[in-house]
Amino acid sequence: MTYIVNRLLSVALTLLLISVITFMVTNILPGDVAMVIMGTQSNPEALAGLRESLGLNDPLIVQYGRWILGIMTGDWGTSLVFKTAIGPLIADKVVASSLIVVMSMTIALSCAVPLGVWASVHRDKWQDNTASTTALFGVSLPDFFFGIMLILLFARYLGWFPSSGFVHPADDFLGAVRHAFLPSLALGLGLMAHLTRMTRSTMMSVLGQDFIRMARAKGLRERTVIWRCALANAIGPVITVAGLQVGYLFGSIIVIESLFNFTGMGWLTYQALLNRDIPLIQSTVFVIAAVVMLTNLIVDLLYTLIDPRIKLS
Amino acid sequence: MKRREFLKSTTAIMGAAIVTGAPVAVFAEEPVRGGTLIWGHSETTQNLDMHQTGTASTGRLLQNVHESIVSADADFNIVPNLAASFEQSDDGLTYTFRLRDDVMFHNGDKMTSTDVKYSFERVMNPETGAVNFEVFNAVESIETPDDLTVIVKLETVNAPFLSRLAENGAGVVMPQGTGDVQGETPIGAGPFKFIRREFGNEVELERFDDYFGGPAYLDKVISREITEPTVRLTGLRTGELHMINDIPLDRMSEFEGNSDFQTVAWFPLNWDFVNFNHDFEPFKDARVREAFDLMIDKETLMQGALWGQGKTSASPSFPTSASYNDAISQRPQDFERAAALLQEAGYGPGDLKIVFKVTTNYPYHVDSAQIMLEWFRAGGVDMSIEQLTWSDWLSQVWVDKDFQVTMMNFFTLWEPDFLYYSLYHSTGGFNYRKISEPALDEMLERARVTVDTDARMAIYKDVQQYINENTLDVILWFRNGTIGAQPNVMGLDTVVQPNGSEMNFHKVWLKA
Amino acid sequence: MRRFLTGKGIFGGTILLLVIVTALFGPLLIPETWATQMDMRARLAGPSITHPLGTDQLGRDLMYRVLLGAQTSMMIAGTAVLMSLLIGLPIGVVSGYFGGWIDNVLMRLVDTLLAFPALLLALTISAVLGPNLTNTIIAIGIAFTPYLARIIRGEALRVAQMPYVEAARSVGTSDGKMILRHVLPNIMPPIIVQATISLAFAILAEAGLSFLGLGTQPPDASWGLMIQASRDYLDIAPWTALVPGAAVALTVLGLNMFGDVLRDVLDPRIA
Repeated sequence: MTYIVNRLLSVALTLLLISVITFMVTNILPGDVAMVIMGTQSNPEALAGLRESLGLNDPLIVQYGRWILGIMTGDWGTSLVFKTAIGPLIADKVVASSLIVVMSMTIALSCAVPLGVWASVHRDKWQDNTASTTALFGVSLPDFFFGIMLILLFARYLGWFPSSGFVHPADDFLGAVRHAFLPSLALGLGLMAHLTRMTRSTMMSVLGQDFIRMARAKGLRERTVIWRCALANAIGPVITVAGLQVGYLFGSIIVIESLFNFTGMGWLTYQALLNRDIPLIQSTVFVIAAVVMLTNLIVDLLYTLIDPRIKLS
Repeated sequence: MKRREFLKSTTAIMGAAIVTGAPVAVFAEEPVRGGTLIWGHSETTQNLDMHQTGTASTGRLLQNVHESIVSADADFNIVPNLAASFEQSDDGLTYTFRLRDDVMFHNGDKMTSTDVKYSFERVMNPETGAVNFEVFNAVESIETPDDLTVIVKLETVNAPFLSRLAENGAGVVMPQGTGDVQGETPIGAGPFKFIRREFGNEVELERFDDYFGGPAYLDKVISREITEPTVRLTGLRTGELHMINDIPLDRMSEFEGNSDFQTVAWFPLNWDFVNFNHDFEPFKDARVREAFDLMIDKETLMQGALWGQGKTSASPSFPTSASYNDAISQRPQDFERAAALLQEAGYGPGDLKIVFKVTTNYPYHVDSAQIMLEWFRAGGVDMSIEQLTWSDWLSQVWVDKDFQVTMMNFFTLWEPDFLYYSLYHSTGGFNYRKISEPALDEMLERARVTVDTDARMAIYKDVQQYINENTLDVILWFRNGTIGAQPNVMGLDTVVQPNGSEMNFHKVWLKA
Repeated sequence: MRRFLTGKGIFGGTILLLVIVTALFGPLLIPETWATQMDMRARLAGPSITHPLGTDQLGRDLMYRVLLGAQTSMMIAGTAVLMSLLIGLPIGVVSGYFGGWIDNVLMRLVDTLLAFPALLLALTISAVLGPNLTNTIIAIGIAFTPYLARIIRGEALRVAQMPYVEAARSVGTSDGKMILRHVLPNIMPPIIVQATISLAFAILAEAGLSFLGLGTQPPDASWGLMIQASRDYLDIAPWTALVPGAAVALTVLGLNMFGDVLRDVLDPRIA
């Protein structure tokens, strides 16, 4: 229990640090949002007026205070460039990104686990080499390059999947999945490769343990030994690693979403960065960092529940 | 006369649209009502407030939602729109607008003179941050003697006042008190009302049945925001989209010969120029600027960067407008003369180290810079390129004027005052090159108070000649605008309008 | 040595060697102008005898560009990883060796930075500093530092708790000497493995940054930049994307394979 309390406290502290870092970094950004709003049509007087009305002339600490208070009270401010409330905007985009993160996770796990098990059972044989080489290729291919090849193949030549866009799952669930499929695949490849390697190595260490030998000696069928006994023990670390990879996925969505025109958090963050939409950059970066933190926390807590050995610190 | 010459010399029709690949027997068909048109829009809409928005992308969409007090016809005469009539006093200081009695806003209110006063004052107020606020600089008072009359009094003569109201959204009338909501939910008097925006994804417009110009044919227009050109093309090919704007330049030829699609090219969408920082020591010398001009082969550059989708020009004036000076021409490429001029100015080969700042917002600018870089290097200039995002370009070049050479494009506006005063007057709002030429300032100020149109246009022709002779900038070309559509999209010849609207759906209809 | 001579080791090593040789000597053998030479009559041309790997949108030869791009990519990735090692090593060693409040403070900071996905961090830094070659290196270098610092700390902690180190400490050996004599040599193998793998990630990061327009600048040839430029021509000239994409994939593959083998040899404990 004290472990959980400590963990929560440290998460709160880290979140505060994240907010400070995010705010500081975004405030050294060169460029001025008033200018971006007016584009090439700007002129000094209109700019000055706009700056004043946007509160860009206040001291930094006042701006930070206003922002952090807003975050806590649910008022996330207004996107300067897009002129719309940031809170609902981000909520909407998180839904979109969750869709591809969940889908790519599903794709990755459902391919990686069988492949990894297969490789570990046939250690150092051709099966192992094939699986390991595939996995190596998977980690080595840049995800956006894989994405480009997917667009060419499945959208341009075969026409099986739409090449871009986002459909809200509440409007049309099947359409949403179809639109999210290619980006999820592009996103899931690297993860799958990583998890295959992970499954393979944990399976190998489990297969070398005494209880497996015991199970075999008791005359259990090999299939049962591998899938029931060994995998059940190996899957924990694999899922933990998968959970920790959410952070990696949230980094990759910036590139993948902008490639597929999939309007989620990654796309929004990129737009915000390009447009110097400082309130929006602060909120998107903060939300992504917070999501990563919280997923790690959940994985940790779940792990303590599953494995009683690491209850203490 | 001049207009006809221009028409002969180019394939696209100036200031209007030509449609190719359309089925031949279309003229007799009766438009049908109904249907939802899905448009693949090349850019993301931002702030939806028509008074504030500075981006062409958002304006393109909002032209369907809003109407201006006056408008322009194909010959750039100012014509009535929300105002049924207008007149200017003999001293040029008082404008009287008589409003139409049948204009309804999307919120159900009827337009009156208070709405006009509200809108004009909103644009005038610097706190609004309106892009066109200087149009109203000389305004002394706005009076509304009755519901349908608006009288605008100026302090000094502002010859281009009326035409500025017709162009680029300055004269857009919004219902009184709606300023605060316009950014998210625009309300106007246009043929389509705004329904919703799924941010970064799509915008839905619906026909406004009480539109004073008669209801549109389409039930709905859905604008899908697809910034990736390849993806937009794929969408058109697979039939997901009815039409797209901005066909990538290199694909135009492929589409023009294809009878499965219609293409619309209009000319000009915008114009491009290479800029020198006139405050940077070497470029203070007109000979150095001329030498750089001489290194650029404009036609090859246009072929290279625009894939031929444009036309070179020595003047940025709208090609069919009365102010266009066709007596000036671009300098042909001449490395020897360029080297001689540089030598004269005191710069031998390798003496000049120049950074070319270019924005990634326009990929064809990046291509242009790379092509020019080879020429400048061949001409003995040590040049490098710096790519900037749009916001960085704006902050470094536009505001801080921290650059040596850059490149930009502008809308082609047919009102020369806006164009030349803001770009070339030493105090002009767009003068990011720090151009300061007293002779030019004098001409531009004189033009502003010259009420006689012919005399005013003659001054602008001198202005163009001055810019050309002194190589204040290197004017490159006019670029074509392009639209691709499915064969069943009808009325495409009406989407481009002289008032700057390039995607007007009022008269567009879908064949069953 | 024999353990390097597995299929993976030979393959990975060969690729790596080829890339390094190209990066080092390519610019000496191939004049830069060959990669910037434009041919307006052969734009987006497919592979042919004159252009074995085809040309890009400005008629530039893709083979020369991809060869010269090796230098840009390797240089950026190498310097960035070196930078993150130089920052991460002291942080990690001090944190792991001394423990206590120093460890707490440093690791809290590192954990905070770890919450920002590396690419997001690099993108934001690059946006702050403005995109150019040096800033790309700094952005990737900073973004990778917390990962290396975390791993180094773990290793240093492990070594610091070993009996012989504790024994040495009890006879009064100074901390500086301890770190130099005992900690550093013992944590080197896993760090070398980690650096090799980081190099692979750094190449991917450079490509990603350039792909988003916030990395290397034209007309310099960089693989990410080449892929970015190819986006508009994918359907009519797929080779403009495939050529630089394959270069990135092969290099990273080589590094990963080499890293795997290196780990088997230097740090058998993990495998």
